[in-house]
Amino acid sequence: MSNIDLLGRRNFIKGLGAAAGVAMAAPAMAVSEKANGVKWDKEVEVLIIGSGFAGLAAAIEATRKGAKDVHIFEKMSYFGGNSAINGGLFAAPGTPMQKKEGVQDSVDRMVADQLKSGRGIADEALLRHVASHAVEALQMTIDAGAEYHPYLQQLGGHSVARTYQTTVSCGAGITQPLYKECQRIGVNIHNRSKFEGFLVGDKGEVVGVKMRQNYHFGEDQPGDVLNIRAKRGVIMATGGFAQNVDLRMAQDPTLTSEVGCTNAPGATGEGMYEMFRLGAIPVHLAHIQSGPWASPDEGGFGYVSNYSIYNFPHSMAINRLTGKRFMNEIADRKTRADAELACRDEKGDALPPILITSYKDSKQHPNTKKVIKYNVGWKFDTIEELAKHFDVPLKPLKAQIEEYNTYVKSGEDKQFGKNMTKAKDKFIEAPFTVVRLWPKVHYCQGGVQVNTKAEVKDSFTGQPIPGLYAAGEVCGGIHGVSRLGSCSIPECMVMGMTAARSMMQA
Amino acid sequence: MKKLTIVLALVLGGLVSLSAQAIEQRAWHKEVIGKDCKVCHDKGIKQFPSDQACLQCHDVDDLAEQTARSEEDKWQNPHNNLHYGKDLPCQECHGEHKAKKPLCSNCHTFKFDKHQE
Repeated sequence: MSNIDLLGRRNFIKGLGAAAGVAMAAPAMAVSEKANGVKWDKEVEVLIIGSGFAGLAAAIEATRKGAKDVHIFEKMSYFGGNSAINGGLFAAPGTPMQKKEGVQDSVDRMVADQLKSGRGIADEALLRHVASHAVEALQMTIDAGAEYHPYLQQLGGHSVARTYQTTVSCGAGITQPLYKECQRIGVNIHNRSKFEGFLVGDKGEVVGVKMRQNYHFGEDQPGDVLNIRAKRGVIMATGGFAQNVDLRMAQDPTLTSEVGCTNAPGATGEGMYEMFRLGAIPVHLAHIQSGPWASPDEGGFGYVSNYSIYNFPHSMAINRLTGKRFMNEIADRKTRADAELACRDEKGDALPPILITSYKDSKQHPNTKKVIKYNVGWKFDTIEELAKHFDVPLKPLKAQIEEYNTYVKSGEDKQFGKNMTKAKDKFIEAPFTVVRLWPKVHYCQGGVQVNTKAEVKDSFTGQPIPGLYAAGEVCGGIHGVSRLGSCSIPECMVMGMTAARSMMQA
Repeated sequence: MKKLTIVLALVLGGLVSLSAQAIEQRAWHKEVIGKDCKVCHDKGIKQFPSDQACLQCHDVDDLAEQTARSEEDKWQNPHNNLHYGKDLPCQECHGEHKAKKPLCSNCHTFKFDKHQE
């Protein structure tokens, strides 16, 4: 098969460091201090750290609630964090598009689907809070100019179709409009600003932060550190830690640097760990999710992930050793990622399974053109050609297609119990498009514990830490063992808005 | 093509002499900037240049036009891309004193043939 540099630039950069005998700059030690006697360099009203969905939504909502001096600080040179490089998939119950498509849905139903995937340890109150406000958050993105495909998708683990996707099939279709909206309404947005710790008042309340200026990620080049007072408080929207290999391996030793990752390089978790130092409650840190729709033929999220997410409902995933299906293609993410990782050759080496889709169905999604053009997906006119290319035993493969097509007809998957609603009339037939699948680290279910006001709870008192709010992936425990796809964007948006409301009411 | 070869030779020649010289400089910048470090290092010599430094001479709208792609691939334009629009700072993909790869190659296999590492 193709021999592609899977990690591309990351390895290149790492290699450079090694070749020149220069150690990559270790993250500077961030430490919180007492604010007593600190000389304030700057004072702001609302201080937000991180510029992804949660941070941007918080800034817009704080401004709507009357804040006049809102500041977002982003450590990277570019804005949007991990929110700018994902699928742009937004689940909400009771939407206008569901009404149009005749889909029966409710807050209860969405929460029930998520609780099931959470395997008993999800936070029902938070899930209910997010689901109840998801339509409102969706509206905020539309008001800012986000555009969505004119159809719904049914993602793995969801019992009905309830997922919107941006027309550009990317989270940037939301972050870019929100970012422009922030600029329009006068939010101050600072890049290359690295959070270096909290400044804490006499009663343990967060009164400000230390912020390094002119920060260049991964470089040993310290800018000046400013003490910034935050009059109303601090909202931490700093994201997950999937790109911090040491931290993720401390939780799950199987997630070595060899395992691919869909996240932006800045998803390294310092903000979260600083909150732990302050006393925040760590929840579910070991539950780190891998995306079962990722491809070993490109880096990160790439083009294939969205292709697979769209096509899974009407496609067959095949183990190349047996020529047979091995999973429900729209089970929750953990179920599928585990099933894919079990696809091995006789020696036990990884044998990435393939996803087979009829071209007439796959071509409905814009990414299909891209995956074929950039050689991370392939089109075949006959099943013989396909089987030969991937070295799959032809006879069982043919038999599997025949069998699967009877399920398409009957609407009942007797092999894996897949929900066949979205597969209706979509028989597997030539010509085919095919991608290879291999899970990549995608999302950290763990983080700091928050309540439905986005307040961060203290581990000793159980009470909220005054002046401190958190929203988005930096928070933990909401989704339990496995988050359902398209449920992070509504969570980030709703909790960002919630944090802003709580702060403005405090 | 000939011009490109000359430029390439200069760059390669420059890389080889890296150990001899303290600071390496892009061949095409030598003529216009010379040895005046402060032209780019607007925040002091020990700091990286600001994100506005390159924009003294380069215009992002012009660059976006030069690197425009077909309608189908329009969002692969590095100077006006899907994820960050025209706001991606130059230094993310271009280094004056060291080699850099385009940010896009973290996740994508499409190429930028004219990008000089």
